[in-house]
Amino acid sequence: MIGFLHPWVLAGLAAAAIPLLLHLLARREPPTVVFPAVRYLLSTTREHQRRLKLQNWLLLLLRTLLVATLVMAAAGPTVPLRGVPGHSPTALALIVDNSPSSGTMAGGSPQLAQLIAVARGVLARSTADDALWLIAADGIPRRGGAAALGELLDHLTVSPRRLELGSALALASEILAAEARPGEIVMLTDLQASALSAARPSAPVLIGRPTAVPPPNTGIGQIETGTQPWSSGGGRISVVLVGDSGSSVPVSARLGERPPRQALGRVGGGLALTLPGVPPGWWTLTTALDPDEFRLDDRRVAAVRVSPVARVRWDSTSRFLAAASEVLASNGRIVPGQEVTLGHLARGASVVQPPNDPAQLGALNRSLAARGVAWTYGNASGELAFSDSGALVGRHRVTRRYLLQSAVSGRTGVLATVNGTPWIVRDGGVILLGSRLEPAWTDLPTSAGFMPFMDILLNRLARGEAALDQGAPGDPVPLPDLVTLVRQGDQEWRVEGGGLFQPPDAGVYYLLAGADTVGAISANPDPRESQLARASDVQARQLWKGARLVSLKDVADYAFSSASRGDLRGPLLWLALVAGLVEMGLASAWRRRA
Amino acid sequence: MRGDALVYPWDDTEISLTSPVAPGYVAPGMDSSDVPNARGRLDLLDPFEISKLGGLELITEGVVEGFLSGLHRSPRRGFSVEFAEHRMYQPGDELRYVDWKILGRNDRLYVKQFEEETNLRAMVVFDISRSMAWTGSPATVLPKIAYAQRLVAALALVLIRQRDATGLITFDDDVRSVTPPRARLSHWRQLLGTLATVEAGLGTAAEPALRRVVGQLHRRGLVVFVSDLLLDQTLALKALRFLRHRGHQVLVLHIMDPAEVALGGPNEARFEDPESRTAVVLRPRDWAGAYRDTVRAVITQWRLACRRHGIAYHRVTTDTPYGVVLREALTPPSRSA
Repeated sequence: MIGFLHPWVLAGLAAAAIPLLLHLLARREPPTVVFPAVRYLLSTTREHQRRLKLQNWLLLLLRTLLVATLVMAAAGPTVPLRGVPGHSPTALALIVDNSPSSGTMAGGSPQLAQLIAVARGVLARSTADDALWLIAADGIPRRGGAAALGELLDHLTVSPRRLELGSALALASEILAAEARPGEIVMLTDLQASALSAARPSAPVLIGRPTAVPPPNTGIGQIETGTQPWSSGGGRISVVLVGDSGSSVPVSARLGERPPRQALGRVGGGLALTLPGVPPGWWTLTTALDPDEFRLDDRRVAAVRVSPVARVRWDSTSRFLAAASEVLASNGRIVPGQEVTLGHLARGASVVQPPNDPAQLGALNRSLAARGVAWTYGNASGELAFSDSGALVGRHRVTRRYLLQSAVSGRTGVLATVNGTPWIVRDGGVILLGSRLEPAWTDLPTSAGFMPFMDILLNRLARGEAALDQGAPGDPVPLPDLVTLVRQGDQEWRVEGGGLFQPPDAGVYYLLAGADTVGAISANPDPRESQLARASDVQARQLWKGARLVSLKDVADYAFSSASRGDLRGPLLWLALVAGLVEMGLASAWRRRA
Repeated sequence: MRGDALVYPWDDTEISLTSPVAPGYVAPGMDSSDVPNARGRLDLLDPFEISKLGGLELITEGVVEGFLSGLHRSPRRGFSVEFAEHRMYQPGDELRYVDWKILGRNDRLYVKQFEEETNLRAMVVFDISRSMAWTGSPATVLPKIAYAQRLVAALALVLIRQRDATGLITFDDDVRSVTPPRARLSHWRQLLGTLATVEAGLGTAAEPALRRVVGQLHRRGLVVFVSDLLLDQTLALKALRFLRHRGHQVLVLHIMDPAEVALGGPNEARFEDPESRTAVVLRPRDWAGAYRDTVRAVITQWRLACRRHGIAYHRVTTDTPYGVVLREALTPPSRSA
């Protein structure tokens, strides 16, 4: 692309129209001259009209060219010199898209192998004066010489992390902005359409992408394990297939090392599988497809908790709690017992809601303190508010509530909030509800999510367990307060409750509080990676203005082209000189002849 | 007369110019070698300059006097000079025809008898169309019609002084006037009267006028066609050929303004024909060369066409002194350039 040292001078290109304007103005309203020998003129013009018109247009063209080339030369045009060895010092950010889709097999090797080979070619053209960065899907820019980055490329593998291409360009721009040398971004990617996002790169962008059509693909996009815990009688899962293949494929699912169950599924549709009962405990559910060119999405995992249902004693005077408990009991999700008390504070695990009578609140707070619970009820609030959506509850209207106060610093044990203030909290085996579960306090009891909420509340939270969470490799997942250790197979990570954890790879990560497993994180690749369809060059250019897209094999030739620029002023001045001389020569020759 | 060919009395004379006008003055169309002998002769002065000196009659007489004085031998001696035989002198015979050599030898008076005693009959056909009323430089060059008026008057005076009967037909798109040929000097004044009253007419149609000549010249004679030739060439040539076939000697004087020969004017102009109103827009600077070639081709075309049919053709630009034109025009074809 032609660049200009003084682009504002290009406004002078309007002057190129001067010869044409003069020509047009000169043609206006010529004076009339009486001339008897017009017949001779007509005869002359008939013979020479075409030649003279051609001469006039040629002179006009030469004059316009003369002005245009002079203006262009004054603007200082430069052009990239493709494939020319050597270039001025450049700051180059090399983005290698090793996201899961780069693992797609192409020509017997993963796509990533081609990208790495091209990246090596780019690095080979660098000089010691260049500043080089390598950015991969992990989002960490690494600076180094060509040799050091080459070593990094040696160890670069397909990452389970998704790479947003726009974010990568923004990161590269940010790095290059601090550099005094002219910057350039080279991005090697499969240009997956689902990975495109807008960016305003501050440096010239060169994008190398494969030209072959990506293969059809089917992957597992989602697993639903239903309400947990499962009873020892087994459970039912649903699997959603994603991708762009239309054929039916067999899906297998198994818990741990138990024999798998299989069913046929099709992209865009879900399939349900019933898994047999297993002993209580934490189980890893693995679903899988037959392998295709893109292997990473052919397997997906989830954590399944199998345990006996909670034994609950509920307060029959609270109409909605009693009704919910009876429904859960009738569905086998709870059984009457002494394990969990629902409605008021009692020995053992309790789910406590504030009393109807404010006069009883002091006694309740004292009982909580005597029990060693760090939370107590504070002032009442009649202000209309809404709960904040979270893993436990969605957005619900809250018309009455008590503010929950913690006796210790920090906000450990908060399970749900209203306007950012604690609404449902847990400390030990006691769960405090900020509002009574009645329509006069909140619309939660009359909503569709009430029964699942009660199920989780009684079967998991009241028993000290955390909610099961999901995430993608590399993405931070918030940890429950009580978690101290994360374990996957033989690997363990010491963590702090309330912090963030980034699953390094796909798999199920169990969360431990002391010796007890209290929850799990299921980390799987982003289902959008299964869509291998490539974005068009037009789409890419719309999102990244000025980006140049070339095939992978041409990238090395075009790299560093922003620094390898030829000055066009000399050739343009020569062209202007030639145009001027030709114009003078032709004009005078024709005039002499005339 | 010598057969079909018209022979002028000064046929064998050597024309030389003797009365220089002013030192250093070179009239257009003159060779600089003529200048030392050209003093005082109106026929060699610039036509525009002498037009300021007086009326048509005065100027024409001055021109003709100058022209005739420049000849070594006066054309007034010897009209139709083809010698035939001698006869005895009789009282009343002009003494100038007495053969003095015989008188000296035999002491007898004989006079020379010529084969053709009757003088020439000439008809001038004068184009007074609108195109003739044009000049490219009103300040320095006469309009074609004014120039041609003087030229025709001078030519008529020369002929009448030779006792040649001379008539005049004027035409534009039709015949406007017909003056039958007469040889009396008073007839020349009548011709002057006709010439003085001509006004530029409309278009140009030469054929009717040329055919009218037949009715005026019953015997073989001289037809002088004075025109800018901005007319239908085919028809005009056809009529001129017809006259030649009738045995008449035909002389074409192609009157051109200098600005018609070399194209000039503003940077760009709309050139309009005063007769047909046809117009063309162009830049003279771009077209001057090509136009010059076209004019040259047209003149060559006329010259060749006339030569092919035994018609004398002379191109006359309106800045050429009348004497030069008369000398060229009245020189027999074999001696003209």
